[in-house]
Amino acid sequence: MLWVDKYRPKTLDRVIVHEEVAQNLKKLAAEQDCPHLLFHGPSGSGKKTLIMALLREMFGPSADKVKVENQTWKVDAGTRNIDVELTTLASSHHVEMNPADAGFQDRYVVQEVIKEMAKNRPIDTKGKKGFKVLVLNEVDKLSREAQHSLRRTMEKYSASCHLILCCNSSSKVTEAVRSRCLNVRISAPTDNEIVKVLEFIGKKEGLNLPAGFALRLAEKSNRSLRRAILLFETCRVQQYPFSSNQAIPAMDWEEYVMEIASDIMKEQSPKRLFQVRGKLYELLTNCIPAEIILKRLLYELLKKLDSELKHEVSYWAAYYEHRMRLGQKSIFHLEAFVAKFMSIYKGFLIATFG
Amino acid sequence: MGMGKRNTIYLVSSSDDEEKAEFSLKSQPKASSLPRISNPKKRAKKAPLSNSCSRPRRQSEFNDFAEIKRFCQEFDEGIRGFKVSTGHGMSTNLWVDKYKPNCLEELAVHKKKVEEVKALLEERFITSEQRFNNNVILFSGPTGVGKSATIYALASHFKATICEWNTPTPTIWQEHLHNSSSGLRYTSKLDEFETFVDKIRKYGCISSSASGGSRVILLIDDLPIINGKVAYGRLRRCLHLLVQSVTVPTVILFNDYGNTEATEYSMRYWEELQLFLQESGACKVAFNPITTNSLKKTLLRISREEQCEVSAEELELIAKASGGDIRHAITSLQYYFLRPNEASFLSFTNSTPPRLNQSQDEITHLSNGHLLPFGRDDTLSLFHALGKFLHNKRDSEKSMASDSDPFILKENFRRLPLKMDAPELILRQAYGQSRPVADFLHENVLDFISEEAMDDAWIVASYLSDADFLLASLSGKLSRNYEAENVVQSAAASVAVRGVLFGNSHLAPSRWHSIRRPKLWQVEQSLWHNKSRMVSQRHEAYCGMNLVDPSVIATEFQPTMKWIGYRAPVDHNGEKASPDCMDLDENVLANENCITSEDEIEDW
Repeated sequence: MLWVDKYRPKTLDRVIVHEEVAQNLKKLAAEQDCPHLLFHGPSGSGKKTLIMALLREMFGPSADKVKVENQTWKVDAGTRNIDVELTTLASSHHVEMNPADAGFQDRYVVQEVIKEMAKNRPIDTKGKKGFKVLVLNEVDKLSREAQHSLRRTMEKYSASCHLILCCNSSSKVTEAVRSRCLNVRISAPTDNEIVKVLEFIGKKEGLNLPAGFALRLAEKSNRSLRRAILLFETCRVQQYPFSSNQAIPAMDWEEYVMEIASDIMKEQSPKRLFQVRGKLYELLTNCIPAEIILKRLLYELLKKLDSELKHEVSYWAAYYEHRMRLGQKSIFHLEAFVAKFMSIYKGFLIATFG
Repeated sequence: MGMGKRNTIYLVSSSDDEEKAEFSLKSQPKASSLPRISNPKKRAKKAPLSNSCSRPRRQSEFNDFAEIKRFCQEFDEGIRGFKVSTGHGMSTNLWVDKYKPNCLEELAVHKKKVEEVKALLEERFITSEQRFNNNVILFSGPTGVGKSATIYALASHFKATICEWNTPTPTIWQEHLHNSSSGLRYTSKLDEFETFVDKIRKYGCISSSASGGSRVILLIDDLPIINGKVAYGRLRRCLHLLVQSVTVPTVILFNDYGNTEATEYSMRYWEELQLFLQESGACKVAFNPITTNSLKKTLLRISREEQCEVSAEELELIAKASGGDIRHAITSLQYYFLRPNEASFLSFTNSTPPRLNQSQDEITHLSNGHLLPFGRDDTLSLFHALGKFLHNKRDSEKSMASDSDPFILKENFRRLPLKMDAPELILRQAYGQSRPVADFLHENVLDFISEEAMDDAWIVASYLSDADFLLASLSGKLSRNYEAENVVQSAAASVAVRGVLFGNSHLAPSRWHSIRRPKLWQVEQSLWHNKSRMVSQRHEAYCGMNLVDPSVIATEFQPTMKWIGYRAPVDHNGEKASPDCMDLDENVLANENCITSEDEIEDW
């Protein structure tokens, strides 16, 4: 088992990073009437860990007994029936899913699932009707329609079903949904907090951690706790005992993006654009999301760029990132960005060096 | 051109009806009152040639409504009761039959093609005594390019008799009922063809008694329609036997229906059949559509003989509209002079004779096919259309039109006029769907942009991005508004195509390009595959404690696991497989590319 999973705190009491939030959540769970929750914050800050711990706090250890199911919903969409397949994770008290995986059928999933849960409400020992918790991940990736239908079902079935929503950026969740939830912001852990966690793991594993090394890992991780722990484990495999100036490897796809960036800087031509397209395809086939590719690519390009071009390039990156969200096939927009960059950069080179 | 296998039909209706009438009478009902069952009698055909001597005056054609009426009645009767009295005896009014070429000089087919066929036949005539082992010649080509006319003309040149497999009349249901009650078995066309081939093999063409010792050409024009594997197998076997054993020169005609219909299931059988026949020793002659020039020549000859006034432009119009189909062109010509309100049409094209420029404009306008009462519905294959867009042919000099343009564009927005129809029109002809068109353009356009023109590449890419945005804007809404979606879709296609045409202002020097199939489709498939595999691996590894965003798995867990050399507990080579898998996908891609590159287009 990876360290990330192994040292994930199981209860709210054992949380190291967001202690304050954890205590508040504990109070919330103690009061029976828990509102809908919306956790938002950057990736690797501990949202999921807190949610899991909260569920355990609410329902006791039985919340850990989950099973994975590939469920198929038959949705009656007026003129035709659609089968929607989705992986769910369910205990007797909660169901967790990524509705955004259903693509453009997400709205039906949200509606159907909530209705179904409302239909068979669990009955607790006192014969009182209890409630179930539905954990929805990546709410920000849901389509607008799905979010709207989420809003309606949220109101209608609020007695039988409590929602815990989880997303990276709350700005992509509609106002209506946000206002019906208690928003919990989970900020990215600071370097010191990360160091604390790394030292904790190091102690548990019985490792000797040199002074500056944990801090370097924390800096390298870009304030993502998950990333830091993964890097830590990787370094442990690569070289132990640690030395404080040990090389910390980058993710392979990041290296690949770096390669693409230098390709772009070296030559600007339709032919090179075509080669770049091939490399982008390779990243995409390996499930690296297009938004992340674009972001990383911009980051790599800006590093090497003359400062007077930075503004324009960032503008176009934002422009095509927006396009990508509106559009269907991300490669069209990724490529348009690369083409625009090449065009700008070539013009710049000609203007400067003639 | 009409080969005499068609009845004489008096034309009174629109061109559509005319087509239908021609079609429904393609297999000629014979002048016999008895329902025919199976007598695929070989019969030398000479009758139609004699028709040309009686040419009625034009006046009578126009005015004799009584005759038309009578004919219509007869026609109806003929269909209903299979008693057709109209036949070879009657004088033909169809110009197609009237002006069918009698000698080699009158053929509109290209001289070289005729020579080629002539040489082939000669060779076979000479060696027919020594059992030349491939006596079969395949003619293939679109309809109305003079395949059969060539063979008839050559036959008369060689003084040979044509022995034709006479397509039996189709059995209609009533007839079938009648037959079955009288104990006669139903025989399909294929059955009859088999019997015919059998007879040919056993007895040769002796039964065409008229031809004594002279030369004989066996002509098989109308192969039985086949559907299904069984029927195909039978026909194939049958033709194979024919190719192997026939001792007289044999010509088999195949109609090419163009690429657009090639996707149809039964069409593939015909292609396969042709290939098979070639393999078993037949030699193939491909006929191309007749050029506009020779069409014009023929039309001019006919109109002169008919003493009809017609301008060169109008002839050109008709010739162009017919798409290389001479039969169609001649019918169109006749129809053109048949119009009762002939004056109005003529005035329409000729209203502005003094200003030559404008009248030419009008003609090009007409030739778009909307206003023309005739003309073939010429469809394009998707690849042809894509080729047009990608090659982006433009006139070399600025036209005068740009001066009169009310909008003065900046220099960098100006483009030379396109050497093609409006892109939307081409798209419609190709029945191009927006999404595939955009994907194909995206995949291929970079090849066509000059190496220097990075700005162009960006403009093209940005327009394609716009098109994708439009395509996405309404997709996935299940409570959809089809009307709106159609509009958006066609707008997207238009943006994609026009963006490519506009953006690519510095064309790469033209060379042979192959059009690749979009790699994107493959990428999407393997993306889904990889994603589900990755997620399930993660579940197994972590006993499914919680769901993780696939993107997080891809960007963080996956690379880490690779370093650590982690193996999933169940799937032992899971991690190892992923890079291999990717390579494999790429191989598949490469293969795909090889395959699709057969759909190459020439630089036209």
